[in-house]
Amino acid sequence: MDTLMSGQLLFAALVSGSLYALVALGLNLVYGTLRLLNIAHGDLVMIGAYTAFWMISLFAIPPIISLVLAAALCALLGWAVYAGLFRRMLAKPELAKRVEANSLILFYGISVILQNLAALAFTSTSRGYQYLDTVITWQGISMTGNRLLSLGVATAVCFGALLFLRFHLFGWGLRAVIQRREAAQVVGVNLNRVQLLTICGGFAVAGVAGVLVSMTEQITPFMGFPFTIVAFVVIIIGGLGNIGAGILAGFCLGLVETYGIALTSPGYRSILIYGLFVGVLLVRPEGIFTKAVRS
Amino acid sequence: MKSFGMIIRIALAVFGAAVPFIGSPYLMGVVFQVAMWIALAQSWSMLSATTGYLSLGHAVFYGVGAYVCVLLTGKIPFELALLAAAGSAALFAALVGMPVLRVRGPYFVILTYGLSELVRHIVMRIESALGSFGRMIFDVPATEVLLWWMVGLAVLATLGAYAIRHSRFGAGLAAIREDEVAAETVGVPVTRLKLLAFVASAAIPGAVGALALLRTSYFEPAQAFDPVISFTIVTMALVGGTDTVRGPILGAVGFALLSELLWSSLPQLYMIVLGLTLIVFILFVPRGLSGLFGRIGRAS
Repeated sequence: MDTLMSGQLLFAALVSGSLYALVALGLNLVYGTLRLLNIAHGDLVMIGAYTAFWMISLFAIPPIISLVLAAALCALLGWAVYAGLFRRMLAKPELAKRVEANSLILFYGISVILQNLAALAFTSTSRGYQYLDTVITWQGISMTGNRLLSLGVATAVCFGALLFLRFHLFGWGLRAVIQRREAAQVVGVNLNRVQLLTICGGFAVAGVAGVLVSMTEQITPFMGFPFTIVAFVVIIIGGLGNIGAGILAGFCLGLVETYGIALTSPGYRSILIYGLFVGVLLVRPEGIFTKAVRS
Repeated sequence: MKSFGMIIRIALAVFGAAVPFIGSPYLMGVVFQVAMWIALAQSWSMLSATTGYLSLGHAVFYGVGAYVCVLLTGKIPFELALLAAAGSAALFAALVGMPVLRVRGPYFVILTYGLSELVRHIVMRIESALGSFGRMIFDVPATEVLLWWMVGLAVLATLGAYAIRHSRFGAGLAAIREDEVAAETVGVPVTRLKLLAFVASAAIPGAVGALALLRTSYFEPAQAFDPVISFTIVTMALVGGTDTVRGPILGAVGFALLSELLWSSLPQLYMIVLGLTLIVFILFVPRGLSGLFGRIGRAS
């Protein structure tokens, strides 16, 4: 029981919770504004992780700077995907009619391509590097610098996004598109611009998350999919397009996961995550989603 | 045109069955693969092409079949083990079907994926708790026997898919695809039909999983429930075209041959080609190879 009450476990829960909130934030933004189910979201995390790894091992560029590079790289990818594929798809009525199902299959194709390109280019060997891994002890809690940095950056980006949505004019436009697409257009929101910038932003956030993950975990071409699943669990719990609740749900999942594993064993991690995923979808099949999907 | 297609199909099946007499192990391997993917893609189409409920989790039925088979092999005759594999996959579908089929659209797609992964991790956990990291099977039937069974399953799945499409049952399923709420309103028993289609599309993949397991004579849960299987099935069926019975056959034959060319030497490249083809077909050829050929046939 002692371990359950310790600050150590709470710290671990917050670190993974903030990361989940961050990964889900990107997915939520893209789904909310474009109705695209990005099943390749986790692979962007993988790309961010590889960016950090190659930057530090080839050019000795620290992950702090890679954060910006990975964000830019993923944003560029977002632009390419939007301009190359989805503008085309959204323009075709017979495809746009079933945007969500079609986008899911399309992104699955993209995911497979990204994973295997990474495997081809970097081999399947798992990689890792050391950065800020000295242990700091505070109030009896042992923390490593990289985990503290991860917690800090993830939390800052999440709350930055919230503030941006609340106070910046573009953020208002974005929320308007999430809530009422057509009405937003009527009052003068440039839909195309909002969609393009959101997909770039959503992808960039995933890249940032990837850099953070790479500081503490092994990097492989196939590391992404679990993050996609986690992000889906989070946005289903939090509610589609509901950015604030999604961030809260991310932290909740971190708590549930960390304490769940502490009570059982790490071998149950995947079962717990997939179990939650299936459970949430079964219990609230369309409940949370329908409200926002209606247009 | 219709009878011509039938002749080709019969010729394919006869060729498949005759291959053991030619006696080339390599050819037998290829035919086994082609038949396997035809059986899987046709089974998938019984649910997903007819109702529009795209399943991205058919690996779970394949895996359940393989798992049941590995547990039973050596204890009961091979034919019974095969039947048990198909039966348990169908039973599994019947059990999870009710809640799963309530979920619609894209959520159904990711739910089936998640369910398949959940079962995979549970089986992996059970196996590692039992202290086994993969099981070898001895005493497997001859390759010819396995091949005949697989070709039989491919024929059965194709006939089944054909029968479903041309029956009252199939008409009900098509109504669900077009507008489920309207179908229910005019009295189509949607829940029962969906469940039946789900069970029907699960049974043959169970037997296929068992046969594929006997062929490799090695069981490893991460492989038996490999999500790549689900993905490949969907790609084959969508690229082949879901409007006709021949669509999944075209897709399965095409990709199985492509995989013969690329898989052993360049597996990653094969997967990349798979992904690219899927994207191109979704965007530009929504009716698949079958629709493409149909158009060419009409134009000439």
